[in-house]
Amino acid sequence: MTWLTWRQFRSQTWVMVVGLIAVGAVLLAAAKAVSDLYTASGAAACTSGCDPVIQNFLEQAGSGWTGLVYSGGIALLYVLPGLIGAFWGAPLVARELEAGTHRLAWNQSVTRTRWLLTKLGIVGAATVATMGLLSLAITWFSSRLDEGTTNMIKPELFGARDVVPIAYGLFAFAVGVTAGILIRRTVPAMAVTLAVYFGVAVAMPLWIRKHLLPLSHATPPLDVANIHGLMIGGPERQLTILGDVDVTGWLVSNQTITPTGALFTGPADPQYCGETVGPRTCMDWIATLNLRRDVTYQPVSHYWPLQWIESGILVAVAAVLIAFCLRWTRRLT
Amino acid sequence: MNAVLAAAGLTKRYGRRTALSDCTLAIPPGRVVGLVGPNGAGKTTLLQIAVGLQPQTAGTIQVLGNAPAADAAQLARVGFVAQDAPTYAHLSIADHLRFGAHLNPRWDARLADERIAALGLDPEQKAGKLSGGQRAQLALTLAIAKRPDLLVLDEPVASLDPLARRQFLQSLMAFIADQGASVILSSHLVSDLERVCDYLIVLVASQVQVAGEVDELMTTHVRISGGRGAAVPDGVEILEESHTERQTTLVVRTPTPIDDPKWTVEPLTMEDLVLAYMARPALETTR
Repeated sequence: MTWLTWRQFRSQTWVMVVGLIAVGAVLLAAAKAVSDLYTASGAAACTSGCDPVIQNFLEQAGSGWTGLVYSGGIALLYVLPGLIGAFWGAPLVARELEAGTHRLAWNQSVTRTRWLLTKLGIVGAATVATMGLLSLAITWFSSRLDEGTTNMIKPELFGARDVVPIAYGLFAFAVGVTAGILIRRTVPAMAVTLAVYFGVAVAMPLWIRKHLLPLSHATPPLDVANIHGLMIGGPERQLTILGDVDVTGWLVSNQTITPTGALFTGPADPQYCGETVGPRTCMDWIATLNLRRDVTYQPVSHYWPLQWIESGILVAVAAVLIAFCLRWTRRLT
Repeated sequence: MNAVLAAAGLTKRYGRRTALSDCTLAIPPGRVVGLVGPNGAGKTTLLQIAVGLQPQTAGTIQVLGNAPAADAAQLARVGFVAQDAPTYAHLSIADHLRFGAHLNPRWDARLADERIAALGLDPEQKAGKLSGGQRAQLALTLAIAKRPDLLVLDEPVASLDPLARRQFLQSLMAFIADQGASVILSSHLVSDLERVCDYLIVLVASQVQVAGEVDELMTTHVRISGGRGAAVPDGVEILEESHTERQTTLVVRTPTPIDDPKWTVEPLTMEDLVLAYMARPALETTR
């Protein structure tokens, strides 16, 4: 059975091996360039007052081809699970059902359960190996540019670092196999797999991940220097203050409150804020109000717990899907 | 009796459609069984249940004394060539033989290699490039080389041209002579089965019409003709009747030889027998 799986999966394996070698070569070259830049920009030798030096290094490394490799690495780790699900998972059983070859395979001296378990085991292991190697290499290459876990907990990086990509790979693979078994046709199963994977990959950071662990809560004073914009609208002259809050983590919600703790909505005093007076006076006026920010966030310390929880959920869903596939395969004809 | 295939009340429904209805059979070992019936009669359903490709809705079935496809050992004892002889199009013949060797503990590699050589096939040829007859031969080789106790073939020659058909049946006969295994093969054409089988099952409209040893069926089924209005002998079952102005001709099933001076008795060919049963349900529904 191992031989058959290998024989059927051989060309896909070579495609992946060649792809991994190519990606590895690009990453190595880019890592060399980033490392040279780290030295040349003075960031490596810097001992005090380094912020501007680091900032300069990041700007240089983030532009040009090394920046392209950096973003490409993130994109690859988000896209590849979908491709694995569609090209490895969906055809695994669907191609046999489509060609009728399951009628040949299932009458050899191997039970269907073992037949499917062997296929799942080998291609599943290949999925883990591929996603693991790639995530390891890309996380390693990006470590200088990510500026540590402060950024890595933010949604755009979180899903493309460390263990979570492996779990997404397994999840997409299981979705692919299930879709193939249920739909019995390769191409529609591939489409469904891509839709489900990308749906989950988008839903997770948007709606789910922030609830996986209790959010931290803080009410720092509103820093006028961090205001990005002011919005005044409506007959009540409602005032919305846009801007950053310095929290070490992933900012989930951000509101402005008054010293008593009530939600601040204005009204904007027309004497200081409005079309006739400049934003400068409005800012000064806001500074006198003793406003605070009311923020919730996932702190940096949650980075690894969240990595494991999210991975755990995805792997558990994959396991349920696989269990379903094994049961359902016994009923297939 | 240790039947090769024993079924009782075997029934398969797909939603509201009944594909196989209350099928009861006991096939003795060592027979070459022909399963005949028109397309859509339920032949494939019966064979797929027997090899464990699909479960029945009701009733019981035992193949070689076990539930179909119960475990690896049971799978090893039953060889199956599905309709249209599926093979892996992108794998070569040699790959298929390797596949058989890896997946079957009783695999006979010499037999497989010799058969492929005897057929004049190039082992490096991809299965997808083979003709229908060659592909059927490859599928048969895979099923034979696993050395099954029972070989099941679903319409193995339906899609083959007459020459390939004859070659395939010759291969099959050689296997039967060689290994003495039991064989069940289905066809919608009696001519395919006439020369090979010694046990016959006629399946029409999801029901087994008749099943038994060919020799016995040939003595219990006859064509009789006599004067119009002559009394039908006792105990016969009329399968087919035709009349001219003066004469009546009947195809009948009779438990005992007919010895009645009013009727002349003629033997049937297997084709006559099968056609009589195939025509019967239609007759009954129009009555």
